[in-house]
Amino acid sequence: MLVWFLPLFLVFLAVGLPVFFGLLAAPGLLLWLNGQERDITLLYRNVYNGMDSFPLMAIPFFMLAGELMNRGGITMRLVEFSQALMGHLRGGLAHVNVLSSMLFAGLSGSAVADTSALGSMLIPAMEKQGYTRRFAAAITAASSVIGPIIPPSGIMIIYAYVMGESVAALFLAGIVPGIMVGAGLMVMVKVLADKYDFPVATRKHTWSERGQASLKAFFPLLTPVIILGGILGGVFTPTEAAAVAVAYALVIGLFVLRTLRLSDLPDVLSRAGMTSAVVLLLVGAAMAFKTVVSLSHAPEQLASFILSLSENPLILLFLINLLLFVVGMFLDAGPAIIILGPILGPIFVSLGIDPIHFAIIMSVNLTIGLATPPMGLVLFVAASVSGERVETISKAILPFLAVEVVVIFLITYIPAISMTIPRLTGFAN
Amino acid sequence: MGIVLAIISPLGWINEKVLGIGRAIGVIAVAAMVAAILIQVVFRYVFNNALPWPDEAARFCMLWMTGLMAPTAFRRGGFVAIDMLCNLLPRTLGTLLNLFLLTICLAVLLTAVKIGWSEVTGFGGRFATASLFVPVSLDLSEWLRVPRSWMMASMLVCIVLLISVNIELILRTLVALFGGRDRLKPILTSNTSGAE
Amino acid sequence: ADYTIRATANSNENDEDYDGLVVFKNYVEAASNGAIEVELFIGTQLCSNGAECLQGVAGGVIDVYISTSGGASGIFPYVQVLDLPYLMADDRVAEKVLSGDFTRKVRDMALEDSDGLIRLMTIGNTGGWRNFANTKRRVAEPADMEGLKIRTVVADLPQELVKALGASPTPIPWPELFTSFQTGVVEGSKNGITDIMGMKFPDAGLQYVTLDGHAYMGALWWMSNEKFLAMPEEMRRVVVDGFYALQQATFASPKRKSIKAYEDFVAGGGDLYVPTPDQKAAFKEAASPVYDWFKGNVARGDEVFTALTDAVAEAEAEINADRDADLN
Ligand code: NA
Ligand code: NA
Repeated sequence: MLVWFLPLFLVFLAVGLPVFFGLLAAPGLLLWLNGQERDITLLYRNVYNGMDSFPLMAIPFFMLAGELMNRGGITMRLVEFSQALMGHLRGGLAHVNVLSSMLFAGLSGSAVADTSALGSMLIPAMEKQGYTRRFAAAITAASSVIGPIIPPSGIMIIYAYVMGESVAALFLAGIVPGIMVGAGLMVMVKVLADKYDFPVATRKHTWSERGQASLKAFFPLLTPVIILGGILGGVFTPTEAAAVAVAYALVIGLFVLRTLRLSDLPDVLSRAGMTSAVVLLLVGAAMAFKTVVSLSHAPEQLASFILSLSENPLILLFLINLLLFVVGMFLDAGPAIIILGPILGPIFVSLGIDPIHFAIIMSVNLTIGLATPPMGLVLFVAASVSGERVETISKAILPFLAVEVVVIFLITYIPAISMTIPRLTGFAN
Repeated sequence: MGIVLAIISPLGWINEKVLGIGRAIGVIAVAAMVAAILIQVVFRYVFNNALPWPDEAARFCMLWMTGLMAPTAFRRGGFVAIDMLCNLLPRTLGTLLNLFLLTICLAVLLTAVKIGWSEVTGFGGRFATASLFVPVSLDLSEWLRVPRSWMMASMLVCIVLLISVNIELILRTLVALFGGRDRLKPILTSNTSGAE
Repeated sequence: ADYTIRATANSNENDEDYDGLVVFKNYVEAASNGAIEVELFIGTQLCSNGAECLQGVAGGVIDVYISTSGGASGIFPYVQVLDLPYLMADDRVAEKVLSGDFTRKVRDMALEDSDGLIRLMTIGNTGGWRNFANTKRRVAEPADMEGLKIRTVVADLPQELVKALGASPTPIPWPELFTSFQTGVVEGSKNGITDIMGMKFPDAGLQYVTLDGHAYMGALWWMSNEKFLAMPEEMRRVVVDGFYALQQATFASPKRKSIKAYEDFVAGGGDLYVPTPDQKAAFKEAASPVYDWFKGNVARGDEVFTALTDAVAEAEAEINADRDADLN
């Protein structure tokens, strides 16, 4: 009986109830119908308990660091740097869009921040050069999913929190997959550019011009080095690294580049705080939802069902990727990880998949789900930034999604892609 | 409709003011969180002497940041939802659906506020935090160990504010349903947002 | 079943807590002839730490929960008496003390302080004894601890202990501990050997373990008092006996499990040091300020400290008498 809260939840989502309320209303209603009023208290309590966590604090910090960098004009410097490197290619601005996303990913843990920061700058620029608006919005959305794959990453912080893995190991494991998504998108841009004769953005920059652009982007590009270097060098934990990133962004914005004013700070803090508040509430609600999933004994049933399909981990991984892709269409990556991670993770670890490898499969898959309709957050943001309809962008994004699906399968079946860096640095076995 | 409009404008004004204060405190909480963790980094790395309190103090601020800032996001439409069906339906039907959804939200919130109150005032709130103290005498000679209820209250406050916003949104939807959409003062909106 | 007991432990299925719960479930379900059913939730499915879970026990959404002394310290600070270093000499003493009136004394205190909501059923073991372990050097005497950054939980007693020994306490979340050893954010910890090996800490450089056995890793088994008293007396008898079986199982399990853990640790090149009686006395001496700190700063600390030290003295006398009787 209790298990009916799962379909009810999907109905609530489909008719447009905010995810936060859906995560609470569906299990709450079924608990009540089932005469388990006392467990509704447990539901409430775990919203609070789910948010009261030290590791999660990295999410507002990275959000804040990203906002500070953006306000301090750093996004623009990254775009100029990308343009100096790739602007002269056919489809130059499309390449620039992808490369900027990869660089921005090193500063920010959020695809949404990536889409709104880069989209508001690059979509109008691309339109001016003759790209269609839907194409510009699509490549922006498709490439912004790199944001949470290359560290830092809000999604991986959530995964590590729920599954008790090391944030540092997940961050390191995401580097190569993130670069692969970027490279794959660039290949697709090249194919399309040759076919449809995309414009060239600029003349080829000389090496001294490139040197100047990289000098201007030097301090922002140092951020990921400080974050990862600090974690690897034992100076701080990932949460502390996030706070240090904030301090760093503040110092270069206020004193080095002088592009940030003290009077900007309240607004920046307010935006970062509000965005994080929504995310944290969602994390709490998903943690509470997970509790009722446990009470309903659904995990045991699902696990034995999955294992009854096949005993071959390679086939199961294929099926799980399909499942995650579909889930990613309807659910945010964070809640999806919180609810499904504890169910799926142990199954695959017992089949011999490394927990870090599985974490990357799941995180990358669900991250890409952010750019798939109907529940693609990044699509919504791209739509609001560009003024193009979600449906139109959804069509234009298909070739890029195809590339990303290929990357998902490469990551799934070649563990070395994600595991090499954590292994070499001793962060995984 | 006149009555509804007459309720909305003071309610909207109150929400605007109260949430504004909430955001201001939230801003301070965010800054304090960063400061606490940076102090910890400096003390541990430079002085080789980790402090007991920054960890918990920063969590304290994070919870209050969430509680005080999320209601503004709700009011500005920043809670993630699939609004496709609402957009596909004819306008009146869409508004009716919206009203129905807001009613579900209200039911959730009213249930939550009842539980929240008994949680904060009940047994769970009596747990002591591990490292947070506040002075209770002027000469700083007596210190009180902060109970967990001071942190748990953040969620209760959040829910109360959400209810106030929810009622305003329901009234606005009612007005829209009876054709008074253009007589409503618009709520400042912001982009949707996520950890992703 | 007429009664369903919802039991939870925050550990995993390799843990002593799980062994205890399996024994409890099996005993209670069989002895009650199916009238009582025990539902196990292992891990953080329902709640994820002492404060959350004990709140659940008090509110009646969780019936049975095992906490460490640190986990319960937020509401019953005096249970940290088990964390006071070097009060109990070995397993035999500890098991005698915890099977006796000391546990009943703590039960009464907890019932008083929770308005009769939370009942301590028994105290078992979870992971043997706490020892100091580090990545830097062999610690043979207190002076060797000087300056080491030791990971502790966010609680004042363990921090006071680490400070008393001249080291620097550093709070680090458990999932980040492996990488923190590796990168040097911390250089040591105080854990049982099964946790050290279970988390593969030697791979992160934790190669020096000093068997100082400074604290018994007590496992406090709590139950909703309302749930317990609502059962008829013959069912309560079954539950109480179930907890006795559970306690015996958790006393035994770490002893068996730690053998392989120690072997693996040494086989992996680890340095296992057993302090001499003189060195151990020096540790006790260096740690002694913590006793006064505990009595002065922890609510009802004096009361529980006396209860424990009296119980230890009594247990030691009984054990010595027993042993003498067995010698010839
Ligand atoms: Na990133
Ligand atoms: Na982009």
